[in-house]
Amino acid sequence: MASSSYSNAPCAACKCLRRKCMPDCVFAPYFPPEEPQKFVNVHKIFGASNVSKLLNEVLPHQREDAVNSLAYEAEARLKDPVYGCVGAISVLQRQVMRLQRELDATNADLIRYACNEMPPQFGARSDTNEQNSGFYFPSQWNNNNDGSHEGGESSSM
Amino acid sequence: MTLKASQACAACKYQRRRCSSDCPLAPYFPADQPRLFQNAHKLFGRSNILSIIKPLDAERRAEAMRSIIYEANIRDRYPVHGCLGVVCQLQYQIWQVEAELRAAQAQLDMYRQMYYQQQLSTVAADDVPSQLELGMALPYIDALSLLHNNNTNDDDDAVASYSYNSYSSLYMDARDVWVEDTHAANNNNGSRRDCDEMHPFFDTVDDRQSYVDSKEAYESSSEESLKDTTQSIEHVGENELKTAAACFTLTSFFFFLQ
Repeated sequence: MASSSYSNAPCAACKCLRRKCMPDCVFAPYFPPEEPQKFVNVHKIFGASNVSKLLNEVLPHQREDAVNSLAYEAEARLKDPVYGCVGAISVLQRQVMRLQRELDATNADLIRYACNEMPPQFGARSDTNEQNSGFYFPSQWNNNNDGSHEGGESSSM
Repeated sequence: MTLKASQACAACKYQRRRCSSDCPLAPYFPADQPRLFQNAHKLFGRSNILSIIKPLDAERRAEAMRSIIYEANIRDRYPVHGCLGVVCQLQYQIWQVEAELRAAQAQLDMYRQMYYQQQLSTVAADDVPSQLELGMALPYIDALSLLHNNNTNDDDDAVASYSYNSYSSLYMDARDVWVEDTHAANNNNGSRRDCDEMHPFFDTVDDRQSYVDSKEAYESSSEESLKDTTQSIEHVGENELKTAAACFTLTSFFFFLQ
């Protein structure tokens, strides 16, 4: 017996939670039955109730982005239980710093050429030496743990 | 048994539990920072946090808690995109800086070529044919010795090419390291799609504007460098005129004798 409103297959969330998938299920639009692992990961790390509360706090047109970001973080945490997606953030921040140093050095050489001065030999330049002391956490982390992010000069978020 | 001497940790305080001496969350959620646990609890939940850190040793547990707290705080600040938004923002910054670096390197290569061409032209100014064109030829024996001395710039070119290759290899190493280390970000194809979708998110950032500015600087600086080069060549020409004028009378005398 199935009414027209229950003719759709249950979403991945309701299937995982083994409950009836109602028409107004908050998970259904974002956890299709074809991607069961997506909800399994999210549920394992964050929990269905937390995800439900988070989705209800954001606007409807933002929920898909929120779910995708949660799925990304959950998968990253499962792959790396210690650092999760913060590991990727750290690596990218180091990359930005390294590239910025290279850009500054190149600009310095350009200024020397513009001033008709001979640039120093490339072998003597030590800007490629990294402060590679292991894993790098954002500096704000060490100062205060309010999670303020300073991944770049300005945050457009 | 609650320790009367110490306050309950923020986690137990928030959940109104008795904070025992062996509370697993007490070291990471001090009582004077309740917001930390509120954010972490909101995103992960107490039981999920404990299940994440339970299999880890003490040192890794501390690192894991730091990352959990950081992730929760980012989610509190950016409820929609969370850490994924930060990752995409950093990737965009990398793309931007790489583009600027390529433009700067191209400009540097141009300057380098101009510099070495200037060096070559300075030596070529001593050639006999150019002097003959200007009507100020040196005595015959000196002209031959000058022609033999012109083949000394190959070493400079070799040094220039080696320096360029070593610098470009360093640039490639930075990219390779990023590809190796960001396996966590690269393995998730969904995140890449999300990042692509988030590019319109950064409408306020106009990288074209920065490139145009650098291009204008490139054009103006190249004009200035050309002007400087021209001035230096003219300066050399004047010197040559003065020295050649002294030799002119001698040369015409020798030709007269022949």
